[in-house]
Amino acid sequence: MLRILFFGRLGDIAGCESRDLPYDGAIATVAVLRDRLGAGNEALARALAEPQVMVAVNQQLVDWDCSLQQGDEIAFLPPVTGG
Amino acid sequence: MARIQIQTADFDIQAEHDRLRAAGGVGAVVLFTGLVRDFNRDQAAGAPPVDTLSLQHYPGMTERLLAEIVTEAKARWGIRDVTVIHRVGDLAPGDQIVLVGVSAAHRQEAFAAAEFLMDYLKTRATFWKRVGAAGRQQWVDMHDVDRAAASRWDGDE
Repeated sequence: MLRILFFGRLGDIAGCESRDLPYDGAIATVAVLRDRLGAGNEALARALAEPQVMVAVNQQLVDWDCSLQQGDEIAFLPPVTGG
Repeated sequence: MARIQIQTADFDIQAEHDRLRAAGGVGAVVLFTGLVRDFNRDQAAGAPPVDTLSLQHYPGMTERLLAEIVTEAKARWGIRDVTVIHRVGDLAPGDQIVLVGVSAAHRQEAFAAAEFLMDYLKTRATFWKRVGAAGRQQWVDMHDVDRAAASRWDGDE
C-alpha cells in the first residue's frame, strides 16, 4: 500500500486529504504515481504538474524521479504559507 | 538549546522571554510575534474583511524542517537560545499565530537570526493558511516578497 497525502488546495482538488493506493511495481517513481493520480482527474493532473508543487517521500523532499517502495508515504505539497 | 512547538493553544510572550533570557551569557533578546490580519495582501478595495483563518501543517515533517532551520541559524550566528512556536487550527484576526525568539550576547546576532528564522519559516516550513471572508474560504498563495526575503540569505554564510 502507498499512503498519499494532499496538502493545501491540492486536498480540495483531489477531493480528499489522504488516500491509500495498492502498491504495484509499475509505480516505479513519484512521477509515475503523479501521472496515475491525474489520469482520472484533469484538474488534479494540472495542479500536480505546476512547477511550484513539491513532493516528499516519508517526510523527505525528493525529486520526481525518486523510486517508491511498498509502505511509502507520499505527500504532495503546494507552496507553503505559514508564519 | 532550542524550543520548537506546534500547538493549537495561544502562547505567553512573557513566559517565552523569561525562558530565553535564562540561557546564560545573554545580553539581548529579540522576540517576533506574528498576528492574524483581517486583510489579504492583494485584496481588492472594498473586499470583505478576513474573519477566519485556519492553519494546516504536515505533522512530523514540519517539526523536522523547523529543527533544520534552527540548526542553520545556530551555525550562522553565535546565539544562546532559540524559540519557535507556530499555532495551527482555527484562528481569528488579531490572534497571535507565530513567535520567533532569539537570545544572544549582542543584539546584532539576535536581530539577524530572528529575521532569518522568520524568512525561512515562511518559505520552507510545511504550513498552509486558508482564510475565510463573508463565508467564502480561500487558500492563501505564497507571495513573491516572502520568496525574495528568504533568498537574501542564500549563499550568505
